[in-house]
Amino acid sequence: MNQNMAAAMELRCWGADWGLPSVHTDSLIVLAYTKFSGASVTVSPVDWTWKTITANIPELLCGDSVVQEPAQILNFMRKQRFNADYELTARQGADTMAYIALLEEKLRPALLHTFWVDAENYANLTRPWFASRSPFPLNFLVPSHHANIALSRILLTKGEAPLHRISEVEGKIYSDAKECLNLLSYRLGSANYFFGNLPTSLDAFVFGFVAPLDKAHLPSTPLQSHLRQLENLTRFCDNVLAAYFSSDQPRPPPPVQETVDANLQKLTQLVNKESNLIEKMDDNLRSSPQHKSHRADPKPGLSGARSSTPA
Amino acid sequence: MSLAAEAFVSQMAAAEPWPENATLYQPLKEDQILLSDHASSIAVQAYLRMCSLPVQVVCRANAEYMSPSGKIPFINVGNQVVSELGPIVQFTKAKGHSLSDSLDDVQRAEMKAYMELVNNMLLTAELYIQWCDDATVAEISHPRYSSPYSWPLGKILAYQKQWEVRRKMNAIGWGGKTLEQVYEDVNQCCQALSQRLGTQPYFFNKQPTELDALVFGHLFSILTTRLTSNELAERVKSYSNLLSFCRRIEQTYFEDKSS
Repeated sequence: MNQNMAAAMELRCWGADWGLPSVHTDSLIVLAYTKFSGASVTVSPVDWTWKTITANIPELLCGDSVVQEPAQILNFMRKQRFNADYELTARQGADTMAYIALLEEKLRPALLHTFWVDAENYANLTRPWFASRSPFPLNFLVPSHHANIALSRILLTKGEAPLHRISEVEGKIYSDAKECLNLLSYRLGSANYFFGNLPTSLDAFVFGFVAPLDKAHLPSTPLQSHLRQLENLTRFCDNVLAAYFSSDQPRPPPPVQETVDANLQKLTQLVNKESNLIEKMDDNLRSSPQHKSHRADPKPGLSGARSSTPA
Repeated sequence: MSLAAEAFVSQMAAAEPWPENATLYQPLKEDQILLSDHASSIAVQAYLRMCSLPVQVVCRANAEYMSPSGKIPFINVGNQVVSELGPIVQFTKAKGHSLSDSLDDVQRAEMKAYMELVNNMLLTAELYIQWCDDATVAEISHPRYSSPYSWPLGKILAYQKQWEVRRKMNAIGWGGKTLEQVYEDVNQCCQALSQRLGTQPYFFNKQPTELDALVFGHLFSILTTRLTSNELAERVKSYSNLLSFCRRIEQTYFEDKSS
């Protein structure tokens, strides 16, 4: 086995913003994994270079080999003995594969839609950001290229032939994504990471998918508001950012465990839902005609007493 | 189906019990049906048998076009038509039959994750082998898919389907994969399933769930369908607990009709 660990690894990815080391999901997955596994990788953002359109981001260069796609890059790093999954049992490794498949099938279409297809978000956030990070004249090409790829991916995987129309699948992909976020929240419970006390590749994937959704300043936010209600997921992202991406310490001690009962959390979610329902019912009741008789007779004596001037 | 239509169907479904004359439609078994469709059909049949819901299997050449979503299989229950395993599971749940009620939230999350793993890896691999591998396409997929139709309609439909599947493979990044890589992915998926199953009779201990039905459907079809090479079946056979799992489900739920 050649001592390739000494060879420098360079990662090409999209640049940082919104408090995250990268705004691009796949780049973020790889960056998180490099931190978790302790690999030293020079990060070269492709912003303002021609690589924005020629390269398949993220890309790992090590010696002569070029590896693309997050799953392949993670495999490559494991072979270089940077393995964050070392302590997992076989069953946990199988669970990792299953949850990653869940993320890809259920969450990715909705994320692509939120960032690249939703007209408000695309026009106000995504396109300006990517156009501002691409050199002239690519700033006209790069965002629309990504948007086309995103739209065709959503339609081909979720659209029902022969009527490939985005409006028909929108409802379905968002409800799938919300369910996926709920499932992740159940699985995470009150733990810091998905498997024990140290983060693994599943944590990297979840971080890569969830963090941009949490931190981006999206104008149109049904999915983001749903995510923000799942406090353990937002806390998970903040933990990872504070522990591995804050600029002072390379590998800090494990964060303090909060003793929040998982059942209490579920109960809180249920109570929130119930109180929302009750509020809605209350609103409906107040606007119904029978209710008006109650409020139409203010006590004349009191108001008269308040407004009477002292003689 | 849109969300409103789904809610409406659930409501109507809850109103009536399961009738005796429910039918499941799939393409012709001997000549037409392909590996991926066969897998989905067996999965649904296994699920309905696990719920002890009677259903008749009817083979029609145009089943794919009759289906509301374009995918096989679909069931016709009363006056409603539901296709694909996911919606069918929800439909039967609305009628009061469910296999996964006893699972807690974390287990249900795991079950859904594993079902997505099977869909993401096994189903996609089956589609790839059927429609993107030239040898299989020429020898098996085109002749079978176009068998009910006369020339040139059969050829046109087969090419159209192939083009559609290849577009989808390119969109999800499988377009550039070689056959060896696909076999390796199948191997990893089977390894994950094997490790999850361990020595238990079913994935969630004593009771079968829709995950067991789905896994059985895919593995059974892979083991029993003739392809250009045995490589795929060999990869599955190397996991003995998956083999005994398939045999167990086959014996429990599918062999009663021959006895």
